[in-house]
Amino acid sequence: MPSLLIFIPLFGIVILNLPFGKAMRNAAFWFALAVFIVQIVLAITHQPIFWGNEIEQMDAFFRVNFSVDQLSFVMLLCIGLVSLTSLLVMRDTIFDINERFKFINLLMLASMGMSGIVMVTDIFTMYIFLEITAIASFILIAFEKDVYALEGAFKYMVLSALASVLILAATAILLLGAGSASFTAIADAIHRTDNNLIAVAMGLFVCGLLIKGGMVPFHGWLPDAYGAASPAVSVLLAGIVTKAAGIYTLIRALNSILGFDANIKALLLALGTISILVGAFAAIGQKDFKRMLAYSSISQTGYIVLGFGCATPLAIAGAVFHLFNHSIFKSLLFVNSAAVETRLGSTDMDRAGGLAQKMPITGFTSVIGALSAAGIPPLSGFWSKIIIVVALWQAGHTWYAATAIMASIITLAYLLAMQRKVFFGKLALGLEDIEEARLGIRAASVMLAAIIIGFGVLFPSAYAIFIAPIGEMFIK
Amino acid sequence: MTINHISIDTALLVVMMIAALWTVMGRSLLKAAIGLAVTSAIITILMFRLDSPLAAVFELSVCAGLMTVVFVSTISLTRPLAHKEIVELSRERHKRFGYLPLLLILVAVVLTFVKIRNNIAAPPAVGASIDVRQVMWNMRPLDMFGQIIIIIIGALGVVVLFEERKKDEW
Amino acid sequence: MMSSVLLALTIPFAASGVVLIIPNKPRALKEMLSLLAAFATLALSLSFYGRPASASFDWAGFGINLSFRVYNFSALLVIATSFFAAMLLMYSCVFMRGRENTKLFYSLILMSVGFVNGGLLADNLICLLFFWEALLFTTYGMIAIGKTNAFKTATKAFIIVGIGDIFMVVGAAICYNLAGTLRISELHIDSIGLGALAFVLLMIGALAKTGSMPFHSWIPDAATDAPLPFMAFAPASLDKVLGIYFLTRISLDIFRLHQESWASYTLMTIGGATIILAVMMALIQKDYKKLLSYHAISQAGYMILGIGSATPAGIVGGIFHMINNALYKSGLFLTAGSMEKQAGTTDLEKLGGMATRMPVTFACFVIMALSISGTPPFNGFFSKELIYDAAIERGTVFYLAAIAGSFLTAASFLKLGHAAFLGKASEIRPNIKEPPIIMLVPMIVITAACVLLGLRSAIPIRLILPVLNGYISAQEPLTDFAPNLSLIAITLVVLTCALLNHILGVIRTGSGLKAVDHIHYAPLLHSIYDKAEKGIFDPYNIGTGLVKIFSVGAAWCDKAIDRVYGSLIPTAAETVSFAIRKIHNGSYKTYILWSLAALFLVIIVMFNGLK
Repeated sequence: MPSLLIFIPLFGIVILNLPFGKAMRNAAFWFALAVFIVQIVLAITHQPIFWGNEIEQMDAFFRVNFSVDQLSFVMLLCIGLVSLTSLLVMRDTIFDINERFKFINLLMLASMGMSGIVMVTDIFTMYIFLEITAIASFILIAFEKDVYALEGAFKYMVLSALASVLILAATAILLLGAGSASFTAIADAIHRTDNNLIAVAMGLFVCGLLIKGGMVPFHGWLPDAYGAASPAVSVLLAGIVTKAAGIYTLIRALNSILGFDANIKALLLALGTISILVGAFAAIGQKDFKRMLAYSSISQTGYIVLGFGCATPLAIAGAVFHLFNHSIFKSLLFVNSAAVETRLGSTDMDRAGGLAQKMPITGFTSVIGALSAAGIPPLSGFWSKIIIVVALWQAGHTWYAATAIMASIITLAYLLAMQRKVFFGKLALGLEDIEEARLGIRAASVMLAAIIIGFGVLFPSAYAIFIAPIGEMFIK
Repeated sequence: MTINHISIDTALLVVMMIAALWTVMGRSLLKAAIGLAVTSAIITILMFRLDSPLAAVFELSVCAGLMTVVFVSTISLTRPLAHKEIVELSRERHKRFGYLPLLLILVAVVLTFVKIRNNIAAPPAVGASIDVRQVMWNMRPLDMFGQIIIIIIGALGVVVLFEERKKDEW
Repeated sequence: MMSSVLLALTIPFAASGVVLIIPNKPRALKEMLSLLAAFATLALSLSFYGRPASASFDWAGFGINLSFRVYNFSALLVIATSFFAAMLLMYSCVFMRGRENTKLFYSLILMSVGFVNGGLLADNLICLLFFWEALLFTTYGMIAIGKTNAFKTATKAFIIVGIGDIFMVVGAAICYNLAGTLRISELHIDSIGLGALAFVLLMIGALAKTGSMPFHSWIPDAATDAPLPFMAFAPASLDKVLGIYFLTRISLDIFRLHQESWASYTLMTIGGATIILAVMMALIQKDYKKLLSYHAISQAGYMILGIGSATPAGIVGGIFHMINNALYKSGLFLTAGSMEKQAGTTDLEKLGGMATRMPVTFACFVIMALSISGTPPFNGFFSKELIYDAAIERGTVFYLAAIAGSFLTAASFLKLGHAAFLGKASEIRPNIKEPPIIMLVPMIVITAACVLLGLRSAIPIRLILPVLNGYISAQEPLTDFAPNLSLIAITLVVLTCALLNHILGVIRTGSGLKAVDHIHYAPLLHSIYDKAEKGIFDPYNIGTGLVKIFSVGAAWCDKAIDRVYGSLIPTAAETVSFAIRKIHNGSYKTYILWSLAALFLVIIVMFNGLK
């Protein structure tokens, strides 16, 4: 019954939008909360009654063809967690009831679109869900309706349109070759033919997805969009939207459709490394908290792609684990930035200082997030990075491994610089009566920090349950 | 298909490109609207020529609907420009074309590097033999649901972005 | 039983987490919670004794698992740890009131208890290292939340102890390589060749944790910067407990130290040097806390000397002394805390005449000072006598060092007591009185423990004896530690000398504080002291100084290195960063162009490959 993950929110939104007055609008928050929590629980427990193949009537009724594997579970978990975080942050940043209601609608639609992306088995349907996610994201970015938000949304829209064109063109070529749009049919067709138009299609498709994922040099829209969006949206975008729309689709396409071509591998290794370096270097000099995190996001995504490019089972398992970790720690850091933004009124790092004294929870969790991002043991970010580096080393990509480690140092440098500027040191002037963030933000940051520490300390069991099966998926 | 047909299609495509460029580059709203209409019309013609009458009809109708939305929204957002701004804008506009030669060079480079052997057989006419409605509702229902969701989001987007903020709410 | 072993870790950890999360107000909530957790741990650890148990959980591959083992020695030390934690938390409840970061402080203390318990109970070398290293972070945190510039001291402590820990990691790796197992209870390695190296490395780790020379120099700095309960907690008690525990384990169980081995002599030399040098420094301090902190180092020397002697009396004495020292040293720090809390300063020049105003504190101080000086019938006397016994068996020079240390200890405490509690009443603050009862209770309990362990010294010695099982061959009688009467006589003479020395000094200078000035300003010592005060002998400073000397000697090399690390790399990074930021000009046209260019490149690569 995986289709219920799409249809229940959809019908929920439709019903909530019926003109029944204010009660419905208030209920929306709780409905969304319930949906996200249920999604998290289902993704963790792998509840066979829900996911099992025995009860197909529901899917048959809606005539959908979803399939869920280990990779999808990880993604669904991320989607649930990050959406929940975004919802909690929204609770503390948007106070008008009507605005809130609209936001929740869009958030649920975006989340639903991403859930769709990770469950589909058909390349064209995947495209449709990509568009759902993208359009919901445009509107969410522009939600504040100030100049920067509109500009950010516009850039995302333009680049995303380019991505759509590329993906559609690739889909058309593949459809021509295979006669069907389902993953298996296309994969078969690719194996059979030696037509090198397929290579063009692959190139187009991968480029389209890389734009969605914001990899260098396709990343131009990303810092503006992340930086301009309202806090709750930044969390959603950085935490999961680009990952589900760009990175997950990339690995799904490579694994289920296109196959790991030697050229693609070399390309991904190169692009991953460039992203890591450009993102990290660009993050060094940023003055704005959110823009810095945006560039850091590019850099961390580079690690994921580097893992994909290595394409050994271990590397892919590490990359997927890093994807999960990145969702968590980057969301956490954006939640921290939201806490700063709500209390300080801006995310300019030069204006802040010594906030940890006044906002202990935010300060502490941001340290956890930053250390996890930099890959400091025993936090979860360390394990995924080390897996990727080890896998690269095993596969003989010594230089890439070395670069990954070096970039890790740069990561530590800029994140510590951020810590020093924002949270530690002397309390900046005029901030004497600043307070800790509100409950929702606090709850979100504590939850995410606990996940980081938990996964780090219990890594071996997490590895056995979550990560190793993903690696096994890719053994051919 | 004969050479003749292909050349007609190519010519139409070129015209469409020019119309689209005109739409994007133009300063006047009216010219942009006309450009958009022309583009849309040519696409419709192309679709008719490629044996997709239903798609063509959709394109025509949606474009008409879309255009009203675009007009209403843009006019509600605009304000008249001062003379100085107009002069600056028109100067700026020409700079945008600076990228075009670069793009052409890039395309040329790529074409020299890449030798495409296109030996894909003409597709086993996917849609031709089956009724389009059949395709949409029976074979690809999920995609239709997806489209519905996109329309819902679009509606929400219009609500969110083009709604006047009430003063008393703040 | 399996789960209750883990409880010794999980209770403090859970409480630490909860304390951090719960709201700041009401204040009593977190205090009650911390105390509750500490006493629960104490009760639990009491139940451990005499009931050996073990628990093991697979944690990671390669023989690394969370395995814990309770046996008499570790059980005894877990009891001690929990006892100190409970006492100090109780004390902190009042002491830390009105300060910042109290929540973090409680949380860190509880966390440290968990880590120390973990380290004591761990039966896997990696597992032990994990807890050991984790303690580094809590130490750092607890120092750093002291004064505003305490970060520097925290960093110093972090680096010094961290270096020791790194040695330990290497040592552990060698052990694994040699023995093929990481289970401490199964590790037995001969200290020759690589084994010797492993022993030295592990020993360095243990010594660094204990705070013996040359790993001591952060402790006096921390005394002035860190919150006071931390001093009573980490350097005075927990660090000693853990460090000496590990030293004992490696000396007795893993490497089986022989009496005539070089390792034994090394340890004894380090111990003797630590005793003398640290106590010399203590003698001239003019600050209550700093003086105590040097004694914390000096007393570690006795323990190391005792264990290093590799004789039954020495080992038992060393461990007994560790427990005694933890008691009276933390107790003394608590009296310092009362002074700081009530009088607002610990500067001996400003203090004076406190005996009448704080009689209970004074009484506790006197008993514990007598104890630390090794005066019968308090606990310090018995452990020191055992160590003297061992030292004289191994070599007169060690005994001389130990007894000289004793003389100086007594002298310095006479000076301290005289300056702080007797003499002219100081007027730094009106109406100085006893601290609140909650602060007095831990002091009194600890003092009472000192007296009890002294009066019934046979009991703790009997509890410690089983540690020697398997180390000393069965022929040797294990219960016979007859007091050596001639040594006791010498001790008494030495203590009397110290008293006479003090009286002489007071008569000469007319002030308790200056009673030892004739030692301080003795011809040769004077200049050495001056240098030591300036930190010239501080290994940390020497270490940093050495780097400087090296770089001055090779100026060009230094400059090149400086340029690379200090300016070239940052500048390069800045430049690259600036360039990258510059090309992000915010125009979507540029971004589209990049994307298209990259697209074409990608397609070319798809056809031709990268190479």
